[in-house]
Amino acid sequence: MTASAAFGILLSNKPESCGVVDFLDELEKDVPALRRYARALTRNIDRADDLVQDTLERAIARRGLFRPRGPLRPWLFTILTNLHRNSRRSDRRRGEAVDVATVELATPAPQPGHLALAELARAIETLPLDQKEALLLVTLEGLAYSEAAAILQIPTGTLMSRLGRARATLRQLTGAEAQPHLRTVK
Amino acid sequence: MSEISRDTLMAYLDNELDGASRAKLEADPAAMAEIAAYMRQSDAIRTLYAPAGAEPVPVRLDPHRLALEAQRRQWRSVAQTAIIVCVLGIGIAAGWLLRPSADAPDLYDRLIADAVSAHTVYVAENRHAVEVAGSDSEHLSTWLSNRLDTALAMPDLSVQGLTFLGGRLLPAPAIPGGRAAQLMYEDGAGNRTTLYITPSTGVDGPSYESVRLGTDQVLYWANTSFTCTIVGTGTPEQLQAIANAVFAQLTPGAAALYES
Repeated sequence: MTASAAFGILLSNKPESCGVVDFLDELEKDVPALRRYARALTRNIDRADDLVQDTLERAIARRGLFRPRGPLRPWLFTILTNLHRNSRRSDRRRGEAVDVATVELATPAPQPGHLALAELARAIETLPLDQKEALLLVTLEGLAYSEAAAILQIPTGTLMSRLGRARATLRQLTGAEAQPHLRTVK
Repeated sequence: MSEISRDTLMAYLDNELDGASRAKLEADPAAMAEIAAYMRQSDAIRTLYAPAGAEPVPVRLDPHRLALEAQRRQWRSVAQTAIIVCVLGIGIAAGWLLRPSADAPDLYDRLIADAVSAHTVYVAENRHAVEVAGSDSEHLSTWLSNRLDTALAMPDLSVQGLTFLGGRLLPAPAIPGGRAAQLMYEDGAGNRTTLYITPSTGVDGPSYESVRLGTDQVLYWANTSFTCTIVGTGTPEQLQAIANAVFAQLTPGAAALYES
């Protein structure tokens, strides 16, 4: 038996410590996506990163009990979505005003492309939260319908109708009307 | 053109449609134009938020660091709990250990209070000041010794100018089931002095205490056999002289109570 094989056996005898390291590495890979989703939800860097930190801390604290068998990402998005809803609820109870300055996009560059993007960002802001969540999870994060529906704890049909309404609203608000000759049926 | 549901368009857009349905949709130019518009929208959404996912991650969001901090917090809370348990334990143990000495002053204080009450009540009596007269001191001594379960001599205080009037048996409420002997003396002027004597079993606290309560001077002493509370109208020095004589006669052979 070679030394490296012996080392491998030694390592495999300690699945716990290896599992922890794997878990943290996996978390680390998901942090950019979590930040992006949180930023799109809150439109505020600090609040978004606070949300991500809370999500990571909760995931670390619960890894033994609730960690799913499959990939971590949907589980992490579920935690973040729920934390965000809770914080919005308590904000509303406290009657906290939303900081208008931080809601605005940070880069209002003069190019027409950027203007369109800023317009789109403002349009997304007007969406109800449940539509916004569905839109961001599917479009921005590229999750499958089944995953997104599980995260939001709704049937796939509900998810699709929220997506459809969100996208139609955005097209209206950004001036790209649906083509009149195509009749869409709900 | 055919009716195409919004859900089908969405499903195509999000790659949730099977091959046959895809092919059917791709044959419809109007539907494809619609889909192209939605795709531009999706691209725009991704472009809008892509920078947020590409930024360098701040140190505070490093899971390894957060896990370490969580572990540290956990240890800290374990340590805090341990400290709280230790302090509580020390407090309880100290309370338990200090309990007897905390109770004892109560007990001897109550003995003194009982003695003063009994003194006040009975020195005011003329015909019934005592239960058994001093002339029958042998019977009195036997009787009280039996009731107190301790050999109790009747101290002779004639040297101090006091005549023995007699004594009585009293309850000693301070001690559970306790009994006390009250012995009464009188000087030439009619001033009365009483001794309130109990066995000292179970009584802790100081062996000597002198207090003044109103017009009464009180002197309490205790040794291994008796507690004796002397209540009278004399000066503290006079009471000390009485106490020395009583002590010598009640517990012969023991060292003097008070060296003057």
